[in-house]
Amino acid sequence: MNFHDHIDRSLDGQLSPEEWDALQRAVIGDPELCRDYVEKRWIHALLEAEGDTLPALLEEPQWVKPAPVIRPVAWLAAAAAVVFFGASIVLFVQGRPAPVVATLIEAENCRWAGSDLPTVEGAGLGAGTLALTEGMATIRFKSGATVTLEAPSVLEVESAMSCRLVEGSVVADVPESAHGFTIDTAKMEVIDLGTRFGVTTTPLGDSNVFVFEGEVKVNREDHPEAKHVFAGSSLVSKVGALPEPADQEVRRVEPPSSSSPGPGWTAVSTATGRGRDAYVRRGDAHGPTGDHPLLMVKHTDLAPNNERRALLSFDLAGVDRAALGSAKLVLKVEPSGLGFSSLVPDSRFAVYGLIDEAVAAWKETDLTWEAAGPLVEETLSTNIATRLADFEIRKGSPNGFVEVSSDAFVDFLRSRPDEIVSLILVRETGESDQQGLVHAFASKEHPTAPAPTLWLQTPDVQ
Amino acid sequence: MEDSTPIPPTSPTDPAELYLVLLNEHERALAAYVHALVPDRLDAEDILQSCKLTMWKQFANFEPGSHFLAWARKIAFHQILNHRRGAKRKPLYSAEPAFLEAVAAEIDRVSDSLSDRSEALHECLRRLPENQRRLVLLRYYEDHDISAIARETQRTEAAVYKLLSRIRAALNDCVKSRLESSPA
Repeated sequence: MNFHDHIDRSLDGQLSPEEWDALQRAVIGDPELCRDYVEKRWIHALLEAEGDTLPALLEEPQWVKPAPVIRPVAWLAAAAAVVFFGASIVLFVQGRPAPVVATLIEAENCRWAGSDLPTVEGAGLGAGTLALTEGMATIRFKSGATVTLEAPSVLEVESAMSCRLVEGSVVADVPESAHGFTIDTAKMEVIDLGTRFGVTTTPLGDSNVFVFEGEVKVNREDHPEAKHVFAGSSLVSKVGALPEPADQEVRRVEPPSSSSPGPGWTAVSTATGRGRDAYVRRGDAHGPTGDHPLLMVKHTDLAPNNERRALLSFDLAGVDRAALGSAKLVLKVEPSGLGFSSLVPDSRFAVYGLIDEAVAAWKETDLTWEAAGPLVEETLSTNIATRLADFEIRKGSPNGFVEVSSDAFVDFLRSRPDEIVSLILVRETGESDQQGLVHAFASKEHPTAPAPTLWLQTPDVQ
Repeated sequence: MEDSTPIPPTSPTDPAELYLVLLNEHERALAAYVHALVPDRLDAEDILQSCKLTMWKQFANFEPGSHFLAWARKIAFHQILNHRRGAKRKPLYSAEPAFLEAVAAEIDRVSDSLSDRSEALHECLRRLPENQRRLVLLRYYEDHDISAIARETQRTEAAVYKLLSRIRAALNDCVKSRLESSPA
């Protein structure tokens, strides 16, 4: 039997379970086959391990000179600084000089990768590529059109009147002087006819256009006729039957260390013991969400059925809470793939603690907005919940960790008699258009990011 | 805020900072190790995640100056065995302990030659023709399986599989020849 061929087939899921078992036995008994297995597997493992960075690696144009080598120690110290102080690193690769067609007028909390255009605020931009991995950046084209780029996005600046969105999301604001301004994607060409509009596209080319004001004309690769889209409408162009963009976002590996305060602290996540997490959406379009990898949260006065709240329950059995010194809630912010950051302000969230035992006993399998009763009242009754703390996520801020703590929060944890404590997460700020961003946090079902976690400082743990 | 002042390369004294520095240096190699031993990609990522947490919790036991990657691999290997026992979901291929031990021993044996491959791979990836890069992205960035890629690229599954094995073989050859031609 040719086990060398088995190895390759095992990498792509092409072996039957029986063949896989036979391969395992053969590898155990044959050192030479084992060598071959490790060799082939290693390339595959490197590609898997670096999956996230592949687009940046592969899409870098050939003529760009490699980035100057940064001395490892300086880079590591800088990386540590990012985690510890939240500072941003700006890396850019000097490209060829080209006539300036646009200006980078604003760069909020930005982190860039593989861009061949300068990425400092105020920089003049010629034709070239901007790759934004975190934050939000605004570019004003010489024609007067402004385009706000939301991470993660890759945009190619072409001329004063056109650009190409390789992947990601942009919102364009186009004055009369720039009518005819064009945003190209793999699947469609969006031509402005006096508007404000948003375009998103996935790396595979699925593209959406949303028109907030005015009108755009859309040429699609697979449709002979141009289509006009007016304010309040959208147009979607999908490539085959492919997963939703949200599915592509759930693959970010982050060291959890930035959220580990150190020895003396114990972590209890929603995945611990009888912990639970879920979100509810008015209208319950998707049924119970207990097994969803993201906890979505949104507040809006414009589209009531997009209102969402998240619920978290932590099993604190065995934790000596009377002696609790300090505590914090750590959440990992993840891209929801829904809505535009440009259309929400810096967002404020409130954390409430549930004090009504019956209400706190919600179940992951059947919790819906409809059945959530007092949990989804516009103003939470003080009979069922106490406001413990709030936090802010700034517009376009990176998908990092948020940490929430307050004296009221620690008091609440100390004094609740039940072993399971439940929290509810509400966004208090709204949006300026109903396509505004839906915030999301990793749930315990998230494949890579850490679940919502309570860090508790108790004196008996040294 | 952009930080343009270079940070002085002092050696970190804070354990958290030291941990991050070491993790940063060896993270790729550790990730490749776990992915090499765990056939299921999502499992591998879960394990890597919990491994980093365990490493941090046990960091007090790490002797500064000793081989961080070797220490990390030991912890990872335990996590892999534990995960296998506690797995709620059965992956397509699950690896037997004796198999894991044989493969881990072989990785340890050739660890020096493997650890240089990551950099070389980056160079080799850039040399792939456009259509092959696209396939690499579909398979390893989008994490599509063979049948999804076949639909997407309008090829048969057998053709996609053949092409992917050819790409991996070409990458392997390219990586090895680069490492041979550069001074060790």
